[in-house]
Amino acid sequence: MNVLELDDVSRSFGGVEAVRGLSLTLGEGQVLGFLGTNGAGKTTTIKMLLGLLRPTGGTVKVFGEDPAVAATRRRIGYMPETAYYYPYLNARELLMFYGGMCGMDKAVIRRRTDELLEAVDLTDAAKRPLKTYSKGMLQRAGIAQALLADPDLLVLDEPFTGLDPLARIHFRELLKRLRAAGKTIFFSSHELGETELLCDRVAIMKKGRCFYDGPVSRLAGDGTENLERIFLDVLAKEDVK
Amino acid sequence: MRLFLRQVKALVKLSLLELWRRNDIVALVVLAIALLVPLSSAKPFGAAGATRYMDEVALLLIWAYSVFISLGAGARLFPGEFESRTIYPLLAKPVSRGALVVGKYLGAVVASWSALTFFYLLYALASGCRTGVWLPGELLQAFVLHAAFCAVAVATALLGSLLLTNSANLTLSAGLLVSMFFFGRRLPEYADGLAAPLAWLVKGAYAVAPHVEFFDLRQRVLHGWGGIEPLVLVAALAYGLCYSAALVALARWALGRKEL
Repeated sequence: MNVLELDDVSRSFGGVEAVRGLSLTLGEGQVLGFLGTNGAGKTTTIKMLLGLLRPTGGTVKVFGEDPAVAATRRRIGYMPETAYYYPYLNARELLMFYGGMCGMDKAVIRRRTDELLEAVDLTDAAKRPLKTYSKGMLQRAGIAQALLADPDLLVLDEPFTGLDPLARIHFRELLKRLRAAGKTIFFSSHELGETELLCDRVAIMKKGRCFYDGPVSRLAGDGTENLERIFLDVLAKEDVK
Repeated sequence: MRLFLRQVKALVKLSLLELWRRNDIVALVVLAIALLVPLSSAKPFGAAGATRYMDEVALLLIWAYSVFISLGAGARLFPGEFESRTIYPLLAKPVSRGALVVGKYLGAVVASWSALTFFYLLYALASGCRTGVWLPGELLQAFVLHAAFCAVAVATALLGSLLLTNSANLTLSAGLLVSMFFFGRRLPEYADGLAAPLAWLVKGAYAVAPHVEFFDLRQRVLHGWGGIEPLVLVAALAYGLCYSAALVALARWALGRKEL
């Protein structure tokens, strides 16, 4: 069964079409890099995947269900591009709060909190208020909250933003472990290098439309091309049209 | 149901932590101690009238604090989430918008009640030291009805926060509640003196406005008139509950319409 199914999805705001006729599927265990320039419609698409926005046309299904139904989102972990998490909480309290929102047992939340704080290297800062965190630390707290309920589908919006090189390496390793564990990952990014390293497939968006959807291996198959070149090529071709 | 209760519990805890970790609330509490204790425990010149006057100021201060805290707690529930963009990871969890509105509302109400309980205990302690009467029945009733007022005030600010800008919401909500508190009782009398279309307008406004004056028992506490009839108390509480529920339902509708 497909984890994600977008069928001819459109979304407009007033007269502006942010996403136009987008069709996309993602199978279990796949990692999809969702690329595009600023304003390409990536975040709008992610909001529709999470049921935060209703499409104006087409259908969105996650695990075969409508993501606008709260129960569907039990299996989704979402990390936003930027969120300034509750400044008066510390990282442990933040995860306890989100665990409560997922309906998890207290003991399970505690265990997962310890594991995840360790995984994102925030154990030492776990009792500090989030208002004292750097952007990278907030990003790591965001990763932890997304993984808290051990979701089957991870939706990550620009996950590498604000991470220092070491945190980036750790996060990349974490994503590889999640991929190896069979998790499905959908992530939007401007980081072509990271995308190439992590993804099985890429979809390239521009002006609300998807111009490329295919495996990374096909892109770099002859060893001469990299994702950056293909990305620029896809966008340039469309400009000519 | 279990999931809903856990979500509500998490949201209530979040609101309590937010309220008591904010610097402005700590300042307010210090100010309350500094003002309420001397006001409600003092016996100026041993004159009963002067003591009652000090008590009246103390109770009015509690009302002013509760308006500030309840409106502040209700008004920041959703704008704060939108500004910090935490609304997205929050709504990405398996929580319905209805549960979110109810949970956040209850959280802000419980947080306001915690502050109100503190102020009333402070007042009861200080005035008890002076009079030797620790918890007169009318003070308990005054506290219960004041708590109902807080529930209405939080709901008013919550709805306003989803329809108006923060400053407009605070100004209008505070204006509405304070006007009704002081002048609500006189509105029908005032309407009777007006010409037909305007009188209907004032009477219409009277019908839909929150009757926070129902929750004010200060005069009974000050003059020791005793409590109100239990049936009247229950009716006032039922009114507060229904009014708050209607505002929360409207807030749920407003959140559903809001573009994320």
